[in-house]
Amino acid sequence: MPDTFETKKQEKTVVTDVPREAGVDLRLPAVVPAVPYPIETLVPQVNQQTPAVGQRVTRPDGRMHGLGQTKYIDDMSFPGMLHAKIKRAGIASARIVRIDTSAAEAMPGVMAVVTGRDIPVNSFGPSYQDQPVLADERVFHAGDGVAAVAALTEQIALDALEKVKVEYEPLPAVFDPVEALQESSHKVHGTDTNVYAKKTIRKGDVERGFAQADHVFENRFSTQMVEHVSLEPHAAIADWDANGRVTIWCTIGRITLARGDMARTLKHPMSRIRMVGTVVGGNFGGKNEITQEPVLALLSKKTGRPVKGVYSRGEEFTSTTTRHPIIMDYKTGVTKDGKIIARKVRLVLDGGAYCSWSETTLGKAAILSAGPYNIENLDVEAYVVYTNKTMTGAMRGFGAPQVCFAYESHMDDIAKALGIDPLEIRLRNAFGEGSASPTGQVLHSVVVKESLLKAAERFGWKEGRS
Amino acid sequence: MKGFEFVSAKDARHAVALMAEYGPKAKILAGGTDLLVDLKSVPEAPPAVIDITRAADMKEIKVTDRGLVIGALATHGEIMSSPEIRDRYPALVDAAHSIGAIQTRSLGTLGGNLVTAVPSLDSGPALVALEARVTIAGAGGSREMPLIEFFVGPRRTALKAGELLVDVVIPKKNLGKPAGFQKFGLRKGQALALVNSAASFWLDPAKKVFVDPCIALGAVAPTVIRAPKAEAYLAGKKVTPEAMAEAGRIAAGEAKPISDFRASADYRRDLIAVLTKRSLEGALAVAERNQKESRK
Amino acid sequence: MTDVVLRVNGRERKASVPPETTLLQLLREHLGLTGSKLGCDVGDCGACTVIVDGKAVNSCLMLAGQVDGREVLTIEGLATRDRLHPIQRAFEERASLQCGFCGPGSIMSAKALLDENLDPTPQEIRDALAGNLCRCTGYTKMIEAIQDAARELRTEKSARTAP
Repeated sequence: MPDTFETKKQEKTVVTDVPREAGVDLRLPAVVPAVPYPIETLVPQVNQQTPAVGQRVTRPDGRMHGLGQTKYIDDMSFPGMLHAKIKRAGIASARIVRIDTSAAEAMPGVMAVVTGRDIPVNSFGPSYQDQPVLADERVFHAGDGVAAVAALTEQIALDALEKVKVEYEPLPAVFDPVEALQESSHKVHGTDTNVYAKKTIRKGDVERGFAQADHVFENRFSTQMVEHVSLEPHAAIADWDANGRVTIWCTIGRITLARGDMARTLKHPMSRIRMVGTVVGGNFGGKNEITQEPVLALLSKKTGRPVKGVYSRGEEFTSTTTRHPIIMDYKTGVTKDGKIIARKVRLVLDGGAYCSWSETTLGKAAILSAGPYNIENLDVEAYVVYTNKTMTGAMRGFGAPQVCFAYESHMDDIAKALGIDPLEIRLRNAFGEGSASPTGQVLHSVVVKESLLKAAERFGWKEGRS
Repeated sequence: MKGFEFVSAKDARHAVALMAEYGPKAKILAGGTDLLVDLKSVPEAPPAVIDITRAADMKEIKVTDRGLVIGALATHGEIMSSPEIRDRYPALVDAAHSIGAIQTRSLGTLGGNLVTAVPSLDSGPALVALEARVTIAGAGGSREMPLIEFFVGPRRTALKAGELLVDVVIPKKNLGKPAGFQKFGLRKGQALALVNSAASFWLDPAKKVFVDPCIALGAVAPTVIRAPKAEAYLAGKKVTPEAMAEAGRIAAGEAKPISDFRASADYRRDLIAVLTKRSLEGALAVAERNQKESRK
Repeated sequence: MTDVVLRVNGRERKASVPPETTLLQLLREHLGLTGSKLGCDVGDCGACTVIVDGKAVNSCLMLAGQVDGREVLTIEGLATRDRLHPIQRAFEERASLQCGFCGPGSIMSAKALLDENLDPTPQEIRDALAGNLCRCTGYTKMIEAIQDAARELRTEKSARTAP
């Protein structure tokens, strides 16, 4: 396809009359003497206070950030670089009957179009390879990509997406994780069940514990979906050269894992793939796997040019991973003086359309769901289920914040009902040195009680309540 | 953004002429803080964007024989720092301050905020509580109407095709009328109002009673509304904390708030009661300060 | 095409751009000044903050045509060859930036504040930063840095005005 074309659009992309004397404004600062760091090695003993605490250190990248000279992906460009945009399904569950890209391909300035069928191996994922790079046969959530365009400008690519015609046959969908557990529910991936991972932790005899308890408390807690909203959107540049070597500049935090996924999806030797992790404008767990990178690589292969893709803020919400909403049922048996003797926990994690880092999150959520408390009789069952929603994955804490909200709220309810001070009930149950976690790990350097007491003293817990 | 033509208007008259030339689909760019967001997502671009940011005659804030005239192009930042407004109308300053963040306040204009006419708009209630009027220019000349009638529905105003909001006037009779403004959002900065409320009244210096009380509420109905029952209750009543609290409760009963993901209708009603009481207290503080100063 | 002549960081620049070009695109794509960032493109995050005629604005919400004849200051215009701007130095020393993406915008907001008010209260600083979102949650250190910078700028000013 020729680069030059005779339309109104042409004048918009030709910027030769714009002076490109950018360098004059990028004034370099003089180098100031570096801050010396202590270099003698120090191996602190357990529980020993190291001198690092309280020292002021600057960040090695702080100056570049403050000068605006840090080069994030969107600040980089290469000669002949094209811009890619992805068309999103906008329908949660459907069969793709046909995709017609001819009108888009015929548009001046459009250099290449790819669909799911062009992806050599159209599945990836860190635990289960259940996620397509672009939806081909089926759409599993509204944020699924169905086609991608590389064009001379971002706006031409966006205009071309409107000309990509996709015919859908709508299918049933499921959006509620509890409903997704039921046998009669729509099965997102057509398998027997929507449950794709389960963790069980059993310790002691929880039913006997409840029988012995003076009081049994039950409550349900739930949390919502949360997007990382890193200030820099997902961005990447792919360059497939004439020797078949692909270079990807990307914001991914785990480039080695991503390299494996690239090799798989592109069916290309890993040795021919080079991933360059650039400075990332915020990750928080949301940039831990590939997103558009294989698409950009294929567009680059088709056009012989570097291709850049930057997600819009809207795509960040619909088409990248989020934090799991969890429905958490707690049942806790306590003695009248507030000692927890039995706890039953049921967690249902809303996994969205694909697994992503759900399995990891599930494990952490399950292990931590009992809280930092010694509980003799414990029964935890945790499930993660598919729904036709944006996939959930890694985010700061991997499931820990959700269960912490539940067990601490539950603890407050119990304390209130028993008339025990909320701090006191925690001290009576908290882990100590040598306590074992629910999965039997013996814990050292445990300072739960000390931390609670110190915090209570610092912010005036007692004074505030009297 | 999809392509469009960009034309700049020298003044209000030029803007009206350009609107006639480019037709009703052309968009007016005043501050752009809403317009550009819309233009980035519209399926079809307008034929032209008429930039009125350079129309100096629509920017002035001054006291004339019509009253306090605030040009439609005065930015929220300019309203906050205007010597005509800064000390005399804390309610207008607070309302302007509650809009967006500094970046939006240095671009966003009073006229743009009013023309957008979202139910939660922050500049509306304080002006309605001061019984502001608007001037509208069109090809056939200009007309005036009370601001409260300018709002027709959510995102709908009384502007007809080819018409331009030129200025907002606080009428002479209300010059210096003490007023208070309160907004409650989910954050202190850059948040939409769950409820906003403004109140004004003259304080009778001898009898210490409410004279001409006026209460306006935002984000609790399709447009900014007055609370006539609460106003009637206050008129002539002795200024006391109890009376102000009761007026808040009455006002809460006069609104029709909705439940949405930001807050429930019940919560909004509670907010109306509290915020109305506080905006009355704000107006009282201004009134007392004014009386103290006039005695000096 | 819209022709614009403006001053950017004290230097006159000319450009002929499509009318729908935003100020941010003009700076980043046509003038090569990539310090201002695109975060949300709807005026919420403040990563694109620049100073136009002395006022902090979201450059993603202005059209290039609007800045014709105006004075624009971007993050690239703060440091000189000899030294960092006191705000930049304070941000570096206080490690106020983590991923750094919000940094240029936050620093420009701070600059607009300190240009008008050399002795801001913490509340005034918060107000000035309300339109700059930092997802690494580093506001406290930014506020401290802005206080440091204000102190330094006050000292400089009194040294200049001293007889």
